[in-house]
Amino acid sequence: MNASTEIVLDPAVKSRPDYPPVAIDTRASHQVFIAEDHEQTSLTALSEQCQVGESLNIVADAASLPESLTELPLSTALYVSGSEAYLWDVHNRLTDMGFGTDKIHLLAPASAARRLFCTHCYTTMEGVSHTPYTCTGCGRPLLVRDHFSRLMGAYVGVQINAEDPADLPDIEETC
Amino acid sequence: MSDAIQVRVAAIRTVAPQIREFTLAPVTGELYTFSPGSHVVVTMKGTDAAGKAKVWKNAYSLVSDGFDASRYVISVRLQDNSRGGSVFMHTQVSEGDILEITPPSNLFAPIWSAKKHVLIAGGVGITPFMSYLPEMTRRGAAMEMHYSFRSQQTGAYREALTSNDAVSVSCYDGDAGERVDLNAVLGSQPLGTHFYVCGPESLIEGVQDTAATLGLPATHIHFEAFAAPQPGQPFDVQIADSDLQIHVSEDESLLEALERSGVEVPNLCRGGVCGQCRTTVVEGEPEHRDTFLSDTEKSDNDCLMPCVSRAQSSRLTLSI
Repeated sequence: MNASTEIVLDPAVKSRPDYPPVAIDTRASHQVFIAEDHEQTSLTALSEQCQVGESLNIVADAASLPESLTELPLSTALYVSGSEAYLWDVHNRLTDMGFGTDKIHLLAPASAARRLFCTHCYTTMEGVSHTPYTCTGCGRPLLVRDHFSRLMGAYVGVQINAEDPADLPDIEETC
Repeated sequence: MSDAIQVRVAAIRTVAPQIREFTLAPVTGELYTFSPGSHVVVTMKGTDAAGKAKVWKNAYSLVSDGFDASRYVISVRLQDNSRGGSVFMHTQVSEGDILEITPPSNLFAPIWSAKKHVLIAGGVGITPFMSYLPEMTRRGAAMEMHYSFRSQQTGAYREALTSNDAVSVSCYDGDAGERVDLNAVLGSQPLGTHFYVCGPESLIEGVQDTAATLGLPATHIHFEAFAAPQPGQPFDVQIADSDLQIHVSEDESLLEALERSGVEVPNLCRGGVCGQCRTTVVEGEPEHRDTFLSDTEKSDNDCLMPCVSRAQSSRLTLSI
């Protein structure tokens, strides 16, 4: 994805968290930038506002964030960019480490694709962009709901035709 | 209230020059166990200076161990500028008396996911932390306490605290010119630390300002400003869509005046922090004294917290 591609997040999805514009937290003692991959141009632009040597830039999976982050002080500000699921995985990892939620700044998700959580078999699926979506765990056709779980970083999926298995609605794009 | 609990005053002792401690035992059965940081509201039925019957209701933190259901202990500071509640507790309550209290409620519970707890107390603000300590000790939680007081007035429990090896307590006696260095206390804590403050407004603001300057997360600063309602100018209240007119005298709170007139308003802290008693203002200008409403909500002037707030205008019309 390049910087000129504008991602439209539909404000009608009430349960999606707000991602207001992020500015550098000038009171923080340390600045840490965490990206899902090297394509996070908005994050790069933000980190370039810091003096050389003042900031730490990390590109990593949420599961492989460096343990050395726990040696940073409470006054550290962190900026995270990537898919919505990645943002919340990193957010939850950072709060477990002991950072304050108000020091963790999530940039608007790099895409509108969703992580989907099947409420029947608990499988999670990445990059979902249409509904109904066939669960890769149990095969049920799932209605991709607008109900977002910050803990799971996922939207909730429930069987769309539990009343009548013969009824299979048309596929629609999610937003 | 139907869930009120009758308790007998089993013991009274002085724990600081201006602080008395009351041990309350159940009249029948057992009391509820409670979580650290809980308080009860005590109903005090006495007489005012003019000899008229008057009811006060004040919230007091429980200072006993929450696992002990055989008794509750509260500590009451004699307030110089009191509307009478603390004076009543200090002068009119004797051992053997029966008092009425609410079941415990908690607006100041510890954040158990914290990696370390830093407790910052000022004066009688030590009280909620007294119930933190036994539970934190049981859990082996990392913690330290910073306790400021003026030994000629407050400083309750400091001998017991400093002789307890399980707790790291630093004391600062203002009457001996000692002061807590908030920059040093807040600036040296590891990741995952949560801070709890209870004491006068100046201490709470001092901690918040220092934390902001140091860049610490505001979500890790917790405070309880149990400012009892302060007296103010008398005013009149009209209840919208009714004939009810209520006069609020200078030394009673609006909430007490409403209760005296039979108007029930849900409430919990009676100190302007919990938000339970939020009431709609139809007409008139409130004098906001709570710490619950945001600045924007306060300037809108369309609601107020009657437990502590009063009127700028001589009249208020409320919708209840």
